[in-house]
Amino acid sequence: MLNTGLFLVLSAVLFCIGAVGVVTRRNAIVAFMSIEIMFNAANLAFLAFARQHVDMTGHAAAFFVMAVAAAEAAVGLAIIIAVFRRKATVNLDELRELRG
Amino acid sequence: MMPLALDILLACILLLVFVVDLLLPAEDKRGIAVVACAGALITLAASFVLDVQGTAFGGAFVNDAVALYLKRVFLAAGALGVLIGMDHADRFFPRRQGEYHLLVLSSLLGMTLLASARELIFIVVSFELMSMPLYVLAAMRKSERSAEAALKLYLVGAVSSVVTLYGLSLLFAAAGTTMLSGVTAAAKAGNPMVVPGLVITLAGLGFKIGVVPFHMWVPDTYEGAPTPFVAFLSVAPKAAGFAALIRIFIEALPGQKATWAPAVIVMCVITMVVGNVLAIPQTSVKRLLAYSGIGQMGTMLLGIGLVTPDGLGMLLFYLVAYLFTNMGAFAVASVIEDASGSDHLDAFKGLSRRNPGLAMAMLLFLLSLGGIPFVAGFWAKVGVFVAAYRAGYVWIVVLGAVLAVVSVFYYMRVARSIYMERPVAGTEGRVPMALSMKAAVTVACVGVVGVGLYPAPFVETALAAARALMG
Repeated sequence: MLNTGLFLVLSAVLFCIGAVGVVTRRNAIVAFMSIEIMFNAANLAFLAFARQHVDMTGHAAAFFVMAVAAAEAAVGLAIIIAVFRRKATVNLDELRELRG
Repeated sequence: MMPLALDILLACILLLVFVVDLLLPAEDKRGIAVVACAGALITLAASFVLDVQGTAFGGAFVNDAVALYLKRVFLAAGALGVLIGMDHADRFFPRRQGEYHLLVLSSLLGMTLLASARELIFIVVSFELMSMPLYVLAAMRKSERSAEAALKLYLVGAVSSVVTLYGLSLLFAAAGTTMLSGVTAAAKAGNPMVVPGLVITLAGLGFKIGVVPFHMWVPDTYEGAPTPFVAFLSVAPKAAGFAALIRIFIEALPGQKATWAPAVIVMCVITMVVGNVLAIPQTSVKRLLAYSGIGQMGTMLLGIGLVTPDGLGMLLFYLVAYLFTNMGAFAVASVIEDASGSDHLDAFKGLSRRNPGLAMAMLLFLLSLGGIPFVAGFWAKVGVFVAAYRAGYVWIVVLGAVLAVVSVFYYMRVARSIYMERPVAGTEGRVPMALSMKAAVTVACVGVVGVGLYPAPFVETALAAARALMG
């Protein structure tokens, strides 16, 4: 039986990969994928702790998070498409309509 | 007796708006805003009539004095937000205005649930129910700026959600249960996962309320998104972010305040300074209000960082003053922007000659934002700083006073454009204003003056709620 620490390390690594991706990548789709990786990292953490505590609410939390991430993905992709239709690019550096 | 009554009522109104939207003809959907606004007001009235105190779902949902107070703030902001957006939606996206009001109401439902949530999954789901409609609302206008604003809001909002979620998963690890009462118990037992959990959660919620260093999205989103929506966005979701902070930090983790309170104080001081300083050079009124709003968030955050009943009570009172003031200011900005196509300071020039009533209203909002005596914002600022003084943070009071002077300087630049300058050629005529917008600005004015002249009942309710929570 694997111990919780290993899952936790994997989840922390995934979370950091996602966080670095969001900060450094300038393509909105890639930033969006990085956010999805972070969602899954949080989900993995919930599941690892649920397994450690033998607690079903942690498993339930994972399902809620999956539903939330799916809704988030639907809204996010729709917004990215809306941007692409108007600007023909999804590069965040080329979105300069608003100063800042 | 029926703790869930308000939220169920709001959900029913939401469904009603959805059905009415389908029934109304595509050419004229103006009725939908009336239904949405009336619905929010009915729910607000019901909060005074019905006995909704109590808990549900085994303690996961609680309607205590703080929850009820915050719900009233959200519902008032929602009703005012719908009223401000009524004419704008009808003019710029008439066929989709039903969606606009429906989304405002669903975000509102997320907020009212969040104010009562005392369980981690409940917090996450209601937080998302609040956030997701906001991303869509920011993209309602079919323009490049609107889409770009929505993308920036979305990316930051999603990162904020996921960081909060990760923090909450660590709190769950410490507690072994998703109830916040379990988190309190784990913190008392000295579980090592509590501290990283609360630090990460604090960072996630910091994004949402736009405190420095997580503030970069605020001015861009405010500039590009539809202005009536910004009026709502700048108040209600921020108040909801504070609701989550109050539940997780003040209610569940007061014993750990030695860990998180200094971090909150540092965030609040930096936010106050950065917001107020960056507001000075702005020439776009929406960006100016965005940066000034960041500064105001810093002041409000002080109410959390003090961890005293006084501080929390004055934060709750501040939210009411800020609601009328900031929504009013953005409503006026929206009128000007819809009339002239710009929110530059030049567009406000000579407003006192073009429309004296509107100029007077804007002056009132600016005075209240600046904390000039005897309007709502004055008591809010004084209250928070008195609470800080009592808690021993004299240097913050001094800093706050200096920054208040700085803020008066840039607010008065707007007032100067309105009162001292001639209108730009070609914009001399009277500013057109819909009836709904007149009503909204009037309500905001009455709120600012009313709370300014009779702050006592609001302050007493807020302090009583805070004392009930913190014992």
